[in-house]
Amino acid sequence: MNEPASIERLPIRTHNDIVTARHAAREHSARLGFGRAYQTRLATAVSELTRNVIQYVGEGSCLIEDQVDAQGCSIRVTVEDHGPGIPDLALAMADGFSTSGGLGAGLPGTRRLVDQFQISSEPGLTRIVISIHKAP
Amino acid sequence: MTLSLSQVLSSHQDQLLNHWLHDLSQAAADSGLNPAHPELMEPLRALFWAIIAQLNQEPAQQPNQTPSQASAHAPDQPAPLASERSEQQAALKTELQQLIAKQARLQRNLSDTLGFLLHLKHLVLKALLAAEAHDPTDRSILWLDHCFEQIARQAFDSALAERDRYISEQSLSIMELSTPVLRLWHQILLLPLVGVIDTGRARQVTDHLLEAIAKYEARVTVIDLTGVPIIDTSVAQHIMKTVDAARLLGSRVVLTGISPEGAQTLTKLGIRFGDVISRASLRAGIAEALLITGKRISAMDGGAR
Ligand SMILES: Nc1ncnc2c1ncn2[C@@H]1O[C@H](COP(=O)(O)OP(=O)(O)OP(=O)(O)O)[C@@H](O)[C@H]1O
Ligand SMILES: [Mg+2]
Repeated sequence: MNEPASIERLPIRTHNDIVTARHAAREHSARLGFGRAYQTRLATAVSELTRNVIQYVGEGSCLIEDQVDAQGCSIRVTVEDHGPGIPDLALAMADGFSTSGGLGAGLPGTRRLVDQFQISSEPGLTRIVISIHKAP
Repeated sequence: MTLSLSQVLSSHQDQLLNHWLHDLSQAAADSGLNPAHPELMEPLRALFWAIIAQLNQEPAQQPNQTPSQASAHAPDQPAPLASERSEQQAALKTELQQLIAKQARLQRNLSDTLGFLLHLKHLVLKALLAAEAHDPTDRSILWLDHCFEQIARQAFDSALAERDRYISEQSLSIMELSTPVLRLWHQILLLPLVGVIDTGRARQVTDHLLEAIAKYEARVTVIDLTGVPIIDTSVAQHIMKTVDAARLLGSRVVLTGISPEGAQTLTKLGIRFGDVISRASLRAGIAEALLITGKRISAMDGGAR
């Protein structure tokens, strides 16, 4: 049973777009039957990543993809921007590291909130892919 | 010989005013005018005199000059001083603004107001043409056009400014509404947070809260987060700052309304609100606050023993 994947691409340009994106993430996960805890975790993760885009770059995008197959269902979210990039990924992923006087919990916290987390960054392209899974 | 616009105006102005106000108050449906509300009669009258003063500033006659080129000196009639002119313009602007503010309060559109103004132009033009039947001067007509164009543009600006003011007033009151600090009991405050907490709102909330803590000498503040959909690191940091500020003023903080999944998410994010007391429900939070201030809620019959 291979349902067509539902894909949603959201531009991230203003603070309102953060709210829209995390709302969409919550809706996707609710629709696929993820529990409230999962929904909140994914929505919070999307909130962190898109806020980083607004805060450190100003503009980017958020892609939400549903996948349903025999292995269960999953939601993959890709947040990317064409900003300056993160010079030291290991440092940025460490708890408490922030260049903006924040808590420095966004990236490391997001990694703990989701099932899969990938980050790549170079000048001109920062991409973070996260996903959550559920058995059928 | 031809009569100047101001000569025509000076002999016809009272008649013009009566005619205009009469038309506006009786406006027939087919005239394209909406009748003016009785409350408008006074502002309309004031505006009329400001417009007449403006029209009287027609630059003196000099061949081969458009009105805007016509300069300060004229042989027979001294041109008005620049200061006098700008004073008149300011007066006209004020009257227009008042009329438009009133129209806005009466829920009327700008097009109604413009209709009033254009009708006056029409009446003045008719009077001018009748008086100069044998030789109407283009210059006077151009000047009339020029003046009313400016007036219409000013009306437009005033209407926009009025709307902007209205919108910013509304968003301010929504902000205020969404950050109430409630006095729950002697020395106990309740701050229910609802909606999206961004930097602007967080600052406002903190300001309000600190003011209230000082004013009521609050010993405990209950911050209820039931209405906050997502507590991410940024919201958490704002809350921490608010808590710290409250502490500095001598108030303890009880956090309530963090959902089980919200609590789990906070743990994953690695956020702990230090030694802040946290209670699942607002009820439990209020009980805690009362306890801190040495009070408790008990059944009425407890004292009847
Ligand atoms: N998209 C991005 N482009 C460039 N730099 C980034 C980006 N995202 C994060 N960073 C850098 O990585 C650091 C760590 O990010 P992280 O989200 O973990 O913490 P933070 O944003 O500083 O604070 P917060 O806890 O509020 O999220 C940031 O301070 C910033 O310097
Ligand atoms: Mg961040």
